[in-house]
Amino acid sequence: MSAKDHFIIIGNGPAGNNAAEVLRENDKKARISIISTESFSFYYRHRLKDFISGRIPAEDLVVKHYSEYKDKNIRLRLGQFVEKIDPEKKILYLKHMEKINYTKLIIATGGSPRILPSLTIFQDYLTMFSTYSDTVGLRHRIEKAKEIVVLGGDLTSFSFVKSLVKACKKVSFLLFNDAFWPISLTSEMILKIEENLKSHNVATFFNDSVEMIKKSKSKYTIETKQNNKIKSDIIISLMGMIPNIRFILGSSIDTDRGVLVDAYLRTNFKDIYAAGDCAQIYNPILKNYWVSIGWMNAEEQGKIAALNLLGDSKIIEPPKEEIFEYEGIKVNTSWWKKF
Amino acid sequence: MNNNPIKEKVRTNTILYSKDPRDLSAIAKNIPCQNACPANTNIPGYIRCIYEKRYGRSYDLNRMYNVLPGVLGRICSRPCELMCRHGDSDLGEPVSICYLKRSAADLKSPMHRIKENLYESSGKKVAVIGAGPSGLAAARELSLLGHKVKIFEGNGKHGGMLMYGIPEFRLPRDILNIEVENILRLGIDIEYNAKVGDNITLDSILKKFDSVILTTGCSLPNQMRVEGEDLEGVYNGLEFMKMINDGEKPEIGDKVIIIGDGFTAMDCARAAARLGAKDVKVNMRKTEEFMPIDEKEKFEVKYEKVKFYSLVDTQRIIGENGKVKEIEFLRNRLIDSATASGGRAAEQIENSEFTLEAETVIIAIGQQPDPTSISSKIKTDGNWIKHKKDSFQTSVKKLFAAGDCLTGASNVISAIAAGRKCAHEVDNVLTGKARKDNVVRFEMINSTDRQRSFDFIEKIEIPSLKFQDRFKSRISEVETGYDGNIAYEEAKRCYLCNLKYEIDVSRCIYCSACIDVAPRDCIKMVEKIDLKKDPSGKLIETQDWNKVTGIVIDTSRCIRCGVCYEVCPMDCIYVTKTELIEYDLEG
Amino acid sequence: MSNTDIVLEICGSAGEGTISSGEIFNRYISSIDFEIMSFDTYPSEIRGFGKCVAHSRFSTQKIFTPGKYTDILIALNDAHSISQLGHLKDTGVVIYDSKPPKYHEEDKSIVGWMEPGMISYGIPFNDLAQKAAGNSRGRNMVALGAVCALFGVDHEEFKNTIIQRYAKKKQIVIDNNVNSFVEGYNWANDNLTKIDSISFKKGKNKNEKESIIINGNQAVAKAAIDSELHLYAGYPITPATKIMEILSHELPKKNGIMLQTEDEISAIGNVLGAGFAGKRSMTATSGPGFALMTEFMGLSVMAQIPAVIVNSQRGGPSTGLPTKTEQSDFNAAVNGGTGDLPRFVIAPASVEECYDGTTLAFYLAEKYQTLVVILLDFFLSNSIRNIDEPTPPTEKMLNSNIAPNEKELKDYVRFKETKTGVSPRSIPGTPNGMYTTTGLENNERGKPQYDGKLHTKMSDMRYRKLNSALNDVPKPKWTGPKKDIDVGILSWGSSAGAAYEAATIANKNGHRVAVLSSLVVFPVNEVDLTKFCNESKQILIPELNYSGQYANFIASYINRPVERLNMVSGLPMASEDVLSKIDEMIAS
Repeated sequence: MSAKDHFIIIGNGPAGNNAAEVLRENDKKARISIISTESFSFYYRHRLKDFISGRIPAEDLVVKHYSEYKDKNIRLRLGQFVEKIDPEKKILYLKHMEKINYTKLIIATGGSPRILPSLTIFQDYLTMFSTYSDTVGLRHRIEKAKEIVVLGGDLTSFSFVKSLVKACKKVSFLLFNDAFWPISLTSEMILKIEENLKSHNVATFFNDSVEMIKKSKSKYTIETKQNNKIKSDIIISLMGMIPNIRFILGSSIDTDRGVLVDAYLRTNFKDIYAAGDCAQIYNPILKNYWVSIGWMNAEEQGKIAALNLLGDSKIIEPPKEEIFEYEGIKVNTSWWKKF
Repeated sequence: MNNNPIKEKVRTNTILYSKDPRDLSAIAKNIPCQNACPANTNIPGYIRCIYEKRYGRSYDLNRMYNVLPGVLGRICSRPCELMCRHGDSDLGEPVSICYLKRSAADLKSPMHRIKENLYESSGKKVAVIGAGPSGLAAARELSLLGHKVKIFEGNGKHGGMLMYGIPEFRLPRDILNIEVENILRLGIDIEYNAKVGDNITLDSILKKFDSVILTTGCSLPNQMRVEGEDLEGVYNGLEFMKMINDGEKPEIGDKVIIIGDGFTAMDCARAAARLGAKDVKVNMRKTEEFMPIDEKEKFEVKYEKVKFYSLVDTQRIIGENGKVKEIEFLRNRLIDSATASGGRAAEQIENSEFTLEAETVIIAIGQQPDPTSISSKIKTDGNWIKHKKDSFQTSVKKLFAAGDCLTGASNVISAIAAGRKCAHEVDNVLTGKARKDNVVRFEMINSTDRQRSFDFIEKIEIPSLKFQDRFKSRISEVETGYDGNIAYEEAKRCYLCNLKYEIDVSRCIYCSACIDVAPRDCIKMVEKIDLKKDPSGKLIETQDWNKVTGIVIDTSRCIRCGVCYEVCPMDCIYVTKTELIEYDLEG
Repeated sequence: MSNTDIVLEICGSAGEGTISSGEIFNRYISSIDFEIMSFDTYPSEIRGFGKCVAHSRFSTQKIFTPGKYTDILIALNDAHSISQLGHLKDTGVVIYDSKPPKYHEEDKSIVGWMEPGMISYGIPFNDLAQKAAGNSRGRNMVALGAVCALFGVDHEEFKNTIIQRYAKKKQIVIDNNVNSFVEGYNWANDNLTKIDSISFKKGKNKNEKESIIINGNQAVAKAAIDSELHLYAGYPITPATKIMEILSHELPKKNGIMLQTEDEISAIGNVLGAGFAGKRSMTATSGPGFALMTEFMGLSVMAQIPAVIVNSQRGGPSTGLPTKTEQSDFNAAVNGGTGDLPRFVIAPASVEECYDGTTLAFYLAEKYQTLVVILLDFFLSNSIRNIDEPTPPTEKMLNSNIAPNEKELKDYVRFKETKTGVSPRSIPGTPNGMYTTTGLENNERGKPQYDGKLHTKMSDMRYRKLNSALNDVPKPKWTGPKKDIDVGILSWGSSAGAAYEAATIANKNGHRVAVLSSLVVFPVNEVDLTKFCNESKQILIPELNYSGQYANFIASYINRPVERLNMVSGLPMASEDVLSKIDEMIAS
């Protein structure tokens, strides 16, 4: 490889970081840049919930310090949004109005919070979080809040509620079981969850749905189908993640739910790869497309994308069993059969 | 200010007309919305009228070109908005041109006076076969030009696809009927249930009329050609919509699968949801990105809890006791293709079959024209009517064809535009002369009252019914429309690209004050203007002051904000109102 | 209550309102009781596209330097601002224009250059200004609006500061500026999520004394008026012009005269004329003008006429660097001119001392009938501070002329030898107080006379004045430990602030560092100097010139090696610079 190469990785998560390291190990000369919308170093996302509820300090989130990038001569561009990709000219357009040329690209942007279409009209009233920046302001708001409503549609919502309870907040929980992500809950699981939450003094609203959200001053009132009225200082919506690919749409890179890649993690453009929670891959065993989730998957994909970018042709192994790892927990499920 | 009285006069009162191809090319570049509109509707003109709260005038401006503004304002496919300069990536969202068209129709006075410029009677008779958008547009134009028109409509009601294809929750029938009546009132006869090729022959019509225009649209549904297409519970999309629009209530199950991703497929999905289906899935061969519908429509469909299912190919429909039970699919992958839309085609993945349960299947994968059913005399090329290049003339003497039956399924505005153009061609044949033509009209004006702050108003989405209110009645119109105040705000957003800002190089002192305040790179230091590459002039830029021959406003980048006009110390920026208008050659 | 200490920089192109927005911000922030210290840099050319930086430090504590590392950088212009990133703190904040007319090429955008950990907030300056006012002139106000929103500044009160700043302009100008500001404020509130922790919310507790916002030039002008200045004669030159400008308004109100002369020679000539006539007079200039004045400086000394010259130093030699700060006129101030030329040289270290130094200068000039040079520099002249209302000169200081008594007037000897070296001076017009005077060496009665014995006597008398004045001027300021000093810093002029701050930090770190600085740098108070040096293991002299002018000068008094810290970067000295030198010295 020549020193004129500029490898860019969009995303500073496990996939992006692993990719960058593999690239640097195998190519000492190329320019390597990581561009991330986050304005914080590579961190453990699953610890954010504890950070928000004030149980751990920011330092405990960090996986990798800035100096480690410097040492490896990897340019870290934080707080920078890629707005547009021109795969023909190989230019990235950044939101702060800078054009950047690349020779090869890995898209590893992970996921962003999903919002249910039925809740979009209340979007302004909902709080979601997925980045460190989101959580900084939220942390202060939670500190001041007394009553919090969690609209729960994913696994994170349970652990988040527990974290809030430990921080002595009055929590109400609305379960969205028909839109649950990434698994579908069985009635058995639902019962267990409800029991568990109640034992933590959480007010639970199962088999109910949001009809209306009203705001007066700084207080919100949720009116439900079952005529419950729940008051709240903050409404937190946790409905899982969808691949963060909005900026790619219209670039002629193939996307579906995620960035469509083949088993080599290559997109329809020769020099563009995708890895981690934003990549969508056909799985011949499941006979379906799947989007990987979880830290380990992302690391593995980051590595493989980087190797293939450098000329290798490694194939990503599809998960054989119906088990996946999420936030460090192995979940046995068949969620992907029902996307 | 300017002390030269002659110049001042030139700047305010001169009106010029031009047919120079350079001017026509420039106007196409300058007013991208109007150029994108198949009917060349004067969009900046009618939006400006809404800003001035002259809704009737705004409606008239529309009606001149597209005859059904109230209808189009609801269901137009909006090619104009895709090209709107306000939608450039650095400038935000396009102006809601379509919603504004609707508000002109909604907000004009209820018994608005319609003005039509009638020509003297020619004594000629023209038949139009099919009362769809194209036929109606042609009939109206021919009537205005003095010909006696009779429409033969195969169905019991007029409107074609507007009546039978589009559901009422998107297009209320009273709106459609009023606008069609307004056309028919020009003295146009209409015969319903006249199925040409069935209960009446083309030959008999050709005999009685001086010219005949075929506007029968596309009525032949595309076939899947898969096993099980004839099972009970499998509908064709168009038939399904027709049943609903005829007031019938087709029987459907809880689980409905739609095959197809176009407007009709979406209409079927939403109609199915209104019929009580619990689980509606839309299946498509490629991905959402390649769907031929806009983002707003996608959102509405999803909002109504319809699920999208991409990259699947229907393999066969599996039945049980003659009824649909499930569908077997294969997964697709996208591959390069020179011919497919977006350069990508779907390819089946081997051994990827899987099934989905369904009680009802609606196949809406498009339709084709069916000319042979009309008359075997019409020469075809496959299913397509043979016609003279750049003309509507078919292989049969006196027989013209326009709209979807000629081009294949397109959209309403294209059909209307084609009907109108075809009418002009027919008129030309009947009278032996061209009576109307497009010219560019220039009018020097001083400036506009448009404020720069208008450019920062956010696009206002059209108010719509809430989820729970949508299903109370199957026909409640989902979009409720702008009121006068919202329409006014939205109208402010239009840049008025029909204004052209130009720097008078002979008076410019190269102070570059205009460049300093420019909102984007719209004012350029130019070395020369290349007319070879682009008849309206391609700017060759330079950064070297020694080479600069002029400071020029790049009209294709200009957003008409007027900031340069304000700061120019020499008052050397001219504003010209340029409009593409239809000109009466006999004046 | 935690201390707030924020350094803010606005960087833009000339003509973008960089300096004026800095000024407005400074005025408002100091009005909410922050200590403030500002430093502006701008291109020397009057029109063009040069780089402007308005740099200010705000603190709830006493500060002495404008701060080397920036917390908040407002980039009105990306190309110029990129180089300012070099001294942005690791967690600093950049506020940039998120909507320039077109895309920056790779690495031409400030955000692209930011180090991880730095925080950026993009605001569409152009768009918002145009939205508010129809043109982009209010970009700077949009930026200020965003700053207020982000860092908790009361925008209603801030608005009033803007209105005051433009009070003399047309209403439309005021409206456009205010609207742009409000637009920026609202936009930032609605669209930005704050992720830094910088806040202007806490001001220091109100002082009992009235405080004023003032820069060095303003302080000099104010002191001159308070000292009953009668005539100012001068020729404009950066960075001293502002003094002249203020006096042109203020002097006529007091029946004084502001005279713009054809050049600096004429200016000092006028000053001497007024001085001879018994009126307090002054001129202000910078290096090139000062050089022209040296001939008349000699006359002031020889003819024993009071004169005050302000030299606001800029980068030299020759026309040099008109808008950069330097302390390189020390030699010229202390030694400039021909012959043995005793004079007082006053070098204020702060804006407070600019005032006190100026009142002292008039007192000394009048009492000791000689020349006083006040050495300011570009930084001190332009740097805005929030200071307590200064103490005006006492009656004694205002009337310091030692006039002949009736007995002496019976046979008036103008240059009579006295113990102090000061001969009673009669003001022309005093009955029986007539005398002749000249630039030639003269005897006690003012008659030219050239014999060696007389010249020796008269020279001795002229120098004797300085020695006797030593008891009449404030003693050098000794801060820090009095004994066992690891590093003793001998400091002068505006770089003393950096020395104080560095010493304070070093002492907190467990070192023993003291600073000796004197308002009057010439004549030298040798007693204190010797004592200080005897207690110091090492001596450090930091100054903003290349050759170490003060170090060379002081060496002859203390007769031992000194460490030097010389900088000619055009920027004021920073405490960090001094501190790292101290650390280096202690380590060795």
